[in-house]
Amino acid sequence: MFETLPHHFRNFGLATDIRTLLILRKSMEKGLVHTLGDLYMVLKGIVVKSPKEMGPFSTAFYDYFLDIKIEKGESLDNAVLRSETFKQWLENLNHEERLDEENDYRDFINKFLDEVHLTTFDIERILRGEDVLKNDDPNMKDDNPQTEFDAQKHVSQMVDYSNISLEELRKRMEQVAQQQQSRHEGGSHWIGAYGNSPYGHGGAAKGGIRVGGAGGGKMARAVIGDPNFYPVERKEILKDDNMDAALAALKGVEEASAEIVLDLEKTIKQGLKEGGIFLPYEMEKIHQKIQVLLLVDNGGYSMYPYVKSVQKLFSKMKTRFAHDLKVHYFHNTIYGGVYEDAARFKFISLKKLLSLDKNHSVFILGDAAMAPYELDERSQADWMELKKKFKRIVWLNPVKQAMWPYTLTTQWIGKIFEMYPLTPEGIEGAVVEMNRVRKK
Amino acid sequence: MAHTDIWTGSDEYLCDTELAHAFHMSRVLGMPLLIEGEPGTGKTELPLQYAKSQGLELFVYPVGSKSNVEQFVAKFDHVKYLRDSQIEILNAQREEKGLSKKLSTGGRSTEVPDDYVTHGPATKAYSIPHSVLLIDEIDKAPREFPNDLLYALSHRKFVMPESGKIIATNEVEMPAIVITSNREQELPTAFKGRCIYHYITFPEPETMREIVLKHHPKIEQKILDIGIGIFYQLRQLGLERAPSTRELLNWLKYVSHFEPKDAQQKLENLDGLGVLIKTQGDMQRVMNRIKSGFKVR
Repeated sequence: MFETLPHHFRNFGLATDIRTLLILRKSMEKGLVHTLGDLYMVLKGIVVKSPKEMGPFSTAFYDYFLDIKIEKGESLDNAVLRSETFKQWLENLNHEERLDEENDYRDFINKFLDEVHLTTFDIERILRGEDVLKNDDPNMKDDNPQTEFDAQKHVSQMVDYSNISLEELRKRMEQVAQQQQSRHEGGSHWIGAYGNSPYGHGGAAKGGIRVGGAGGGKMARAVIGDPNFYPVERKEILKDDNMDAALAALKGVEEASAEIVLDLEKTIKQGLKEGGIFLPYEMEKIHQKIQVLLLVDNGGYSMYPYVKSVQKLFSKMKTRFAHDLKVHYFHNTIYGGVYEDAARFKFISLKKLLSLDKNHSVFILGDAAMAPYELDERSQADWMELKKKFKRIVWLNPVKQAMWPYTLTTQWIGKIFEMYPLTPEGIEGAVVEMNRVRKK
Repeated sequence: MAHTDIWTGSDEYLCDTELAHAFHMSRVLGMPLLIEGEPGTGKTELPLQYAKSQGLELFVYPVGSKSNVEQFVAKFDHVKYLRDSQIEILNAQREEKGLSKKLSTGGRSTEVPDDYVTHGPATKAYSIPHSVLLIDEIDKAPREFPNDLLYALSHRKFVMPESGKIIATNEVEMPAIVITSNREQELPTAFKGRCIYHYITFPEPETMREIVLKHHPKIEQKILDIGIGIFYQLRQLGLERAPSTRELLNWLKYVSHFEPKDAQQKLENLDGLGVLIKTQGDMQRVMNRIKSGFKVR
């Protein structure tokens, strides 16, 4: 069953394979799947591994199981509306239901989604709860519209509407609705919010029909089209929405590891004190945290579009690295040093820069585009010095990678440093390279 | 299987349907449940409240930057072992010299390696049927930790170091394992593949009312309305660190110490805003908005 599922879901960028099928089969054997709604829930638990996959997952699910194709940027409602599946479903609805209501399509879509996402759990909830209804007269008059308001505002008890058919519940609801004169909140009889009558929503009744708003479909509807639930464009130049992915990649430079080693000094000292009985003492080996040096090209028109996003990225990083992040500035290239402030007034000589601990991870951020005469031999020699001193040094370029070959100086600098594009993917690559160098 | 009923929360904890489903599924399949979501959305509360309401034994392993599998499963105490064997030699020497008083090894014997094995929460949970095991904030762990865990969790058995004793459980009796993460670092794909995944989306105002009512059942209607109104407005400001459920509950707890009228006043004046806003920058932003006419309902 569903042999084509992994392949299909893979087309939506989801990591599905034979194991997905095995877990799914096990779920079915264990009785977790009875309805399409169950299948949605179960598959979601197996396939989705990050909030960014919820969008693609829902899209893939609707496509595979319902033949509803959701185009990029389209709302779920629209996709449902133009699908064959929905049209057929409408035709199968009984005639009265279709004709007697002046419902617009939205109500039908709600109903459709409710049916698609109906889970066994929902059915069980609906089918429980006879007792409350038995003691409740559906034709009770609404003489005192607000008496129930104060009675049960807070959710204090759960009510089981057991063994009541959906049909019956709906019928009773209509009876009650005819009598109801006003808005009700709380209580166990009227339709409204926060009570434990079986109608309405947001209440404590375990079963019941929702009035307005598709229950299960709500999730799918919320997820589709919301960029929060789609993967970040990892090949895009840094923007606000893929900033966090970049930051996550940057965190990779920090490497803390737990290790317990023998405290040789203490073992010997104590052993001598104890008259030759050497008991080993242990100590935690603390790895030095990573130090980051950031050199930013903040001059020139060409860098202007990127400065803001870069600053934001590293200000977020600052909270992470606290005292271990140093930021310096330069314009296009360096001549004997960099600047401490963004306005480039306080000069720091190259010599001073080179006196820093060689274990710094150095990120140079610039477009590397300038007039060829600017990157003269002296300047190139300065870069080489930095490279010699700091083993972990990379260049991040905000310009699209495809454009690099068209700039002479970019190529020159590319020969000195490993150059990566300023994208989440590029930053990750840079960090991997840095860690590789460290292990050498 | 005994404890595979759907659990939808208790008097103190509201477990939304989606989470209930995922949790149920993980217990039926005998796989760990990995929960991610914003801080303060009740990730850690789930196993705690579940164990409490069902009367099950609970084991917690809070993960930190120095966590390793040894702490989690079991550790052989080499120091104690060496000390005891030294003491045995000493005792033999003392006996030779005719001293009757012996040094104590505290009932441990170097012949029994098991005496030196300290059990971690995982081993304890595996030896008690139907217990609950919480691995809290796994994203704080060193990178190799989740990968090491993989083997331990998927085979449902642990081999004790040195003694070779096996602590095993089966699919029926295995503990309900819940792992939480704040997404501070991405977990290995292979690890995620062995878990049932659930991402807690932030509750909507309607659900939030129910959550608040679970914690403050006696709260005034008006206070609840105003509190939730302000809370969601603040969340929409695009703050660096948006206030979460936990913070809202704390804020309402703070104002609940006052008379209803004062409390309402306090809410509207945004008294105790520090409970909700956690960074200096955010506070500045909110203050600026208030100055420029940002009004709470």
